Amino acid sequence: MITVALSKGRLFDDFVSYLEKYELYKYSKVLKDESRALYTIVDNIRFIFAKGPDVPVYVERGVADIGIVGSDIIEEEVFSYLNVSELPFGKCHFALAGPPDVEHFNTVASKYTNIARNYFNEQQQPVSLIHLNGSVELAPILGLADGIVDIVQTGNTLRDNGLLEYERILDVQARLIANKQTFYTKEDSIYEFLSEIGVIG
Amino acid sequence: MTNNKFILQRLALGQKYLEQLDDSGYTLVDMNMIEPFSIDDKYHHPTSVVFERNNAMYAIRSDWTRTLLNFNSNFYSDDKRFGYFGPVVRENESFYQAGAEIYKAAEKDIIEALLMHMNFVEECAETQIKTLVINNDQLIDLFIEKYKLPDSVRQLIYTKNISELRQQLGKDHDLYKIMSAKVSDQFKMVSEIFGDTEVMQAITHLKAKISSQDRKFILDLSFRSPQNYYNGLYFQAFLNSNSPILSGGQYNSNAFGIALNLTDGGLL
Repeated sequence: MITVALSKGRLFDDFVSYLEKYELYKYSKVLKDESRALYTIVDNIRFIFAKGPDVPVYVERGVADIGIVGSDIIEEEVFSYLNVSELPFGKCHFALAGPPDVEHFNTVASKYTNIARNYFNEQQQPVSLIHLNGSVELAPILGLADGIVDIVQTGNTLRDNGLLEYERILDVQARLIANKQTFYTKEDSIYEFLSEIGVIG
Repeated sequence: MTNNKFILQRLALGQKYLEQLDDSGYTLVDMNMIEPFSIDDKYHHPTSVVFERNNAMYAIRSDWTRTLLNFNSNFYSDDKRFGYFGPVVRENESFYQAGAEIYKAAEKDIIEALLMHMNFVEECAETQIKTLVINNDQLIDLFIEKYKLPDSVRQLIYTKNISELRQQLGKDHDLYKIMSAKVSDQFKMVSEIFGDTEVMQAITHLKAKISSQDRKFILDLSFRSPQNYYNGLYFQAFLNSNSPILSGGQYNSNAFGIALNLTDGGLL
């Protein structure tokens, strides 16, 4: 038995669609039916449903052998695991955004302050960063910050709030990560699953 | 298990282990947990808790290997084999560690020490060690040199980033084929390319001595040791726990260390 930690939300829906594309209906059908459960078991795989930032924690600690998580999460925090493969879904990007006509960003709000700090350091641009837990678009509207660093999918949320994308900072997509120890101790089951979902082979 | 039994069992294991080292001719060492520390040591011992007293830097012992090096530089011992048992502190946590250090260790000394420790673990656990994982960074140097790869490929190997390796090298590249194969197949695949090198010869000899039907011997180029001062062969061995029961490797020019995990390696 191996345990696969899945990020809840949009990435979960994308993973189910990915499974259907590979005609892995034995997984996709059960996962769709269990969207409110904490975990479900299909054959030799236990799927657990977790918040995105918690998936690397489960994998690092060996509670889960494999995790499916957005690269935004693993770029923001430092964990110890195997960063095995990108997956062809969950594509979006980080952007620096703000109201029209901003000439210089002095204060920037973000949920992802490490990614934002790395970006501004690379640009050799000193800014003051403010950490927010969500709805970061409010920050420039209310005057808390000149701009934001956030994930952009369609751009609709920015447009709806009168904000423009100034810089594309980093591409984001789903990744498959694995625990360092159980990759050895449960090798056969892990490779069988990786092969089944098209990551290797 | 009650806490009393857990504590007593750990002490009994530590004593049994030290007695075995004593019988095998090792010099046993016990030292103060507070050690003089140079800030330059922080690179090799990043988890050490460091503090200042009377204009001098000190650290709480975080690694017995460093303790033993201090011991030898202070006491100019001619002994070559040392054994220890006691706590170490890393970040905010303490762990119990027992182990051995061998200076001027030849290949046969390394194999002998590893076999002795594996036998000790298996006798105490009454079960076989399931997996032994091994690596040597010099193998990655060989790949980089032979295939003229950029140094950035190291990070992709360390994190087993198969998709990026496929993108950068192509799916027909030897390194990609090795990295995407099952880890238990890597030894054979790497041997086919670098089997006549000194590094692979040493790993082959070790495999021949310690492999058995129930023990999985894995060479994995992605395997990293938590101790970044190892500069030759390094390994971890697992019972049924996610944490290794044994870990160690070669450091400096010809020293070898091996440690027994008496916290969460699966013996208690």
